[in-house]
Parts: sequence; structure tokens; C-alpha cells
Amino acid sequence: MTATTKVIRKPQRTMADQSYVIELVKGLGVTLKHFFKGTRQMVTGTTPDLEKHPYADGIATVQYPEEKRPYAQRWRGVHRLTHRDDGSPRCVACLCCSTACPAQCIYIKPAEYAEGDKRRGYERYPEEFVIDELRCIFCGFCVEACPCDAIRMDTGYHMTALDDRASFIYDKAQLMSHVGQDGTQKSANPRHEPGDPTHPGVTRLHGGH
Amino acid sequence: MPNFKLDDREIPFEKGETIIKAAWRVGVEIPHYCWHPGLSVAANCRMCLVEIEPAPGGRAMMLDIMKWDAAKNDYVPDRKPKLQPACQVQAVDGMVVRSTTSKHAAEARAHVQEFLLVNHPVDCPICDQAGECKLQDYWMSEQRTFKRMRDEPVHKPKGVVFGDTIVYDAERCITCTRCIRVCDELVGDHMLDLRERGNRNEVVLAPGRKLEGDYTLMTEHVCPVGALTSSHFRFKARVWTLKETATVCPGCATGCNMYLDVDPREQRAYRNRPRDNEAVNRFWMCDDGMMSYLREHEGRVVKARLGRDGGREDSKVPAALDRAAEAIAKVPAGKLAVLLGAQFSTEDNLVLAAFAKAVGASVYLTAKAPWRADKILRHADQNPNRAGATAVAGGSVGSLQDLLAAAAAGQVQGIVGLGADVDVDANALAPLSRIGEVVLFLSHEGPLARFATVVLPAASWAEADGSFVNAKRLAQPFKRALPPKGDALPAWDLIARLGRAMNLDLSYTKLREVRAALLAQAPEAHPDSRPMAVSADAGAQAQKGA
Repeated sequence: MTATTKVIRKPQRTMADQSYVIELVKGLGVTLKHFFKGTRQMVTGTTPDLEKHPYADGIATVQYPEEKRPYAQRWRGVHRLTHRDDGSPRCVACLCCSTACPAQCIYIKPAEYAEGDKRRGYERYPEEFVIDELRCIFCGFCVEACPCDAIRMDTGYHMTALDDRASFIYDKAQLMSHVGQDGTQKSANPRHEPGDPTHPGVTRLHGGH
Repeated sequence: MPNFKLDDREIPFEKGETIIKAAWRVGVEIPHYCWHPGLSVAANCRMCLVEIEPAPGGRAMMLDIMKWDAAKNDYVPDRKPKLQPACQVQAVDGMVVRSTTSKHAAEARAHVQEFLLVNHPVDCPICDQAGECKLQDYWMSEQRTFKRMRDEPVHKPKGVVFGDTIVYDAERCITCTRCIRVCDELVGDHMLDLRERGNRNEVVLAPGRKLEGDYTLMTEHVCPVGALTSSHFRFKARVWTLKETATVCPGCATGCNMYLDVDPREQRAYRNRPRDNEAVNRFWMCDDGMMSYLREHEGRVVKARLGRDGGREDSKVPAALDRAAEAIAKVPAGKLAVLLGAQFSTEDNLVLAAFAKAVGASVYLTAKAPWRADKILRHADQNPNRAGATAVAGGSVGSLQDLLAAAAAGQVQGIVGLGADVDVDANALAPLSRIGEVVLFLSHEGPLARFATVVLPAASWAEADGSFVNAKRLAQPFKRALPPKGDALPAWDLIARLGRAMNLDLSYTKLREVRAALLAQAPEAHPDSRPMAVSADAGAQAQKGA
């Protein structure tokens, strides 16, 4: 077996290259070009709108948090619990999300509706709903698993940096206070409440059988 | 033994046995809802239909049918064999039965399944049965088609409270009548019945009654779907997060075999389920036994404790063991009494009996008082291991009453005891307060605990491997389901450590060594010496939760 040899020559540098002065001035030129362009856009008010043209040429710096880059609709942020029309959570505490959760960061305590509630027997509700956002890996499996569209990650919030761990344990009230990127706390999917004409009746007499 | 052929397997049967039961005995499942090995045959679900080949020389029973022909776009005349329910047809020597290999049986089951789901709410996400539901299992194995009915399903009552323990959902019910037959045949009290017919059929309580008695939870246990739910377990957990452990009920001297279901993430026991054993509890357990999982978390001793009355303080186990060794050393020779525990495993009692022998102490037994017995399962003695504790003590042992008499006579100045249960009136315990040193190994608090000068935290029956000997002298092993709580250790381990702290020859460090000693000293109490075979164990494994 013959070894093939490839000779790599050292790059030939001229004195001008070696001194770095010319390249330094070129680089400074790029900086100055953007400096003047940015200043001109700022003065004339022609800075590109990041909402409309997120990847347009121009200044890439975002003045966060006054300005925010728009997130894709599927971007997975902090969770929220969606609301029903009466403001209660859509969640029926089936534990599908906590089952699917690979980080085991969701704790739900299911409870039965009180006697007399029209949802009693049909549904259950989460007495407690706790997500440990420090454990969460933001995989979105909980959203996929939910049969009721009750948990979503479309808030557009980052996980904020807080100075104690306890603040990352989000309870039901916290999760229900979050608002979706569309500005609502509901879900666009329709929901049939027990007693609605669209929902299975409560007694055998309801359906007219 | 005569045989019949089920698909490609020869299955032995006893004379008079049905096809489904003979198959169940060898661990072959023929799909079924209404049939249960412990109940009479109802043959109403039609899920176990099988094709039985005609006897040699006989004529097959054939039905004329109209079959859909897609090519002609019309129905054409056809014939098919008449299927028979495997739960009702008795096996005959040489019979040829087709279950999984019959396309007619497969078709019939798929259609039965589709009919059962016509009015089913399919609320699996919030149904407690999901994960162990026969409707789900057989949808996967027998149906695999979507519902074709587009009409509104028939609605029936939901969340009906049948009693303190059972909540009923008529929409999920397939009216297999298993629960009704449990009430009739196991309990002998016709509390439940069906009303209406067809798709309005539902289970109702007898007028003026509620579901009561000692076996109400068995109606939930036999329910193949989520119609009957236990109000204790309802909404508490999903069954797929639970891990089962084969164990024995600590509730009474019957020693019902059971599974303890725990959530390993929370280290919490969630429910008991009967484990089939035809030699002991068949398929059943009483309500108190079904609720015995609560003992794992209620009234537990999880820390060592020193001092009595006002001067009580928590301690660490090694310090408490040293303190106990010191205290026992102060007791004059012959004045020490050892109290075996009928609530503890044979292994725990064996090591304590060995301790008693080593220090020359007299031996007594502490136990819980008798409770309400019945002719079904409940034994009057609510101690799971009186027989085992007595066996390791050499066959006879004094009671707590005897100990109190000895204490009153001043013959006892120190006690080492296992458990805080008493079978005497709490006022009769007064002589114990005069005893200087009382060292107790406790898994649970009890009336004796207040006399203790040293308390050591012992593992409960669910937290250590061990065995109980039931009233029929049947030694039954049980497995550890959870790690010991707090500082607790298995009682035999604590006693052996105490013995070593006192320089006694108690070298047990592994359960294996304790079991070996048990085999040598009281072989009849060793769990491997089971005199009665567990006949249906193979079938029981295959039909778990059936």
C-alpha cells in the first residue's frame, strides 16, 4: 500500500496582510457603514418593522423587552390552561398530559364536581394543576396528549429568570392567568357543555329516544 | 383426563367443565365479558362465541344468511355455521373448537364489540377503568373498526351513587350482570338488578336499598368496564402509572391473596385487588381487606422515639438501639418479657423469638381483638399471622392478658415487644406503666405505644418481604411494594441489630438467613412449605383483572 502525500503550502502573506492595517480599516468601514445606515434610518424613521419583516436587512438588534421578535405560531413557550366560557378550566383532569410528560413535571389532583353540578358524572376537574417549569423540557407532548385542548404552549412567553426556585412551580391560578399569542384565554376549538343542545343530554329523556 | 382441541392446542378438562373454563385453567383466554370463573354462567354478552365442528359423522348446524357482495353490489345467499357460547357449552372429549382460527367467530366478535360500543360514551380519558378495560382490550384485539352509527347515542344516568363505596355510570355499562351475580352468589343479597330492556337496559338498586355489606367493592372488581367505580379509587390515579406487587392482605387470619397497587413516583399505595387463589380467597376480598392499603399511610411510626409521657423525644435509630440495649441490660435476669406480634411477619417474630431465647425472656403474644366474622372470607381473628408467631415461639405462647397478670404480680420489669396492638380493654393496661423499660418495634401507633420508653420504627407489611401463616396453617409469602418510610427498617433487622448491640448471637443481616433459620426451626411456617397448591395460578395470571 502506498501512502499518498499531499503537500499543503503555507499561505503566502504579503507585508500588507501581515501588518493587518488594511484589513482593520476595511472592517472598520463595515462597522461605520452600518453605523451611518442605522443612524440614518433612526433619524428618518425608516427602521424596518421587525413584526412585518423579521429577517429584513438592516439592524438585527432588538431592543428587548420593549421590542420583541414575533414567534412562530408553533413556538412552544410557557404553558397556559385554556378557559371555558364560564372562566373555568377546560381541563377534565384526565392525566393524559402528565402521563405523556417525559420530564414528569406535571402534577394534577383530579376531583369530582359537587352534587347538583351539571357536569357531575360527565367530567372531572383539576383541583390542583401544578407544572414545575424547571423540570419541563418544553417538548410539547402535553399539548399533543390533551384530548380537550386544555393545555397550550402558545403564550409566546419565555421562561423568565427568577431568583428563587419556588417561583418556577406554577399552580393552576398562575397557569390560567396566562394569555395566548392571539390575546385570548380560550381555545378556538368548540366545546360542548353538558346540557347544551350540542352535548349529550343529562337524562335518557333528553335525546327524545 | 379427557381433552378437546381449541384452535391448535389440546386442552384437558374435567367432566362437566365448560370450554371457556378449561381454556382459562391453562391460561388461554377466549374473549368474554359476562363470564367470570367465580360466578355462574349468564351467557348474555355473546363475546365468547366459538365455532364447534360437528361430531364425526354428524351434521353441521348451518344458518342461511344473506351476505353482502361488493362486486354485485347486492346481497347474495350464503351459509355460515351456527356459533355457540364457549362459556355455556360443556367440553366433550375429542371436540374440535375454533376460536382464533374461525373467521365466523372473529366476525361475530367484531360485531358484538361494535354493538356494545354503539351507545358507549367513549370517555376513556376520564374513566378509571381505562388501561384495564375489556372494551379497550377487545377493541384492539377483536374489532379495530370505527363506529358506523351516526345517530345520537342513548343517554342514561351517570354518576349514580349506589352506596358508600360504589358509583355507577349506566352509559358505560354493558349490562353483563356480573355485579348482580356477585351480590346474589357471593353475598346472597339481591341488592342489584336490571331494569328496562335493549339499549335502555341498566343496573339499578333494589327499591329502598343501597349497596351495603362487606363485599360491595367486589361488584366494582368484577365489572369488566368502567360502569362501577370505587368511590375511594375514583379519579385518584391512572392505572397505567400503578405498579402491582403480589402480597397478602394483613386484615385478618384468612390471608387473602392480593395485589397492592402503588404509584412508584409518589411512593403511595392506591388500591388493593384480589389475587386469584382458589385455595384461600378464590377471587374475592372483603371491603375492609380492599381498604387495607390505607394502613400503609395511616398512623405510621417513622422515627425512633425515646422517653415516656411528657419526656418523649425523637431520636435516630442507632442511638435508640444503644439506649434500648442499655435499658434491657439493666433488667434483672428472668424479669424480661418478650411480646411477639401477630400483626408482623413470621420472619420478624422468628428473630424476636431467637432474641428471647438468647436473653432468657418469657414469651407472650400481642394481637388485635376479634372482629366481625362471616362465612365467606372474614375470619374472626383480625391478625394475619397469629399462627406464624405461635409457630416460631414453639407452638404455644402466652397472651397479653397473661403478661399483664405477670406484670401486676411484679414478675416483669422489662418488655421487648413487636407491635402496639392489644386484645384487652385499654384500662387493663395500667400495670404496664409500672414497668421500667418497654422497648417496642412499631410500624403503627397503637394502645401500647404510650408505655414505650424506646420506640423503634419498623417497616410495615408492604415495605418488606415476609410471610404470614393464615388460620388454615397456610404459609404465604408477600413482597415489598414500597421502600420503608422515614427511618424505618424491617423489624427482624432492627431486632437483630439490637441483639448485636447487646453482644448476643443474632447474626441475621439478610432475609435469606432468616428464612433458612425458619426452615430449620418451624418448617411448617416457611412460605415454601405450602400444603395446598394454588391450582388456578396460571389461569389467574393470564386473566388478571378479568
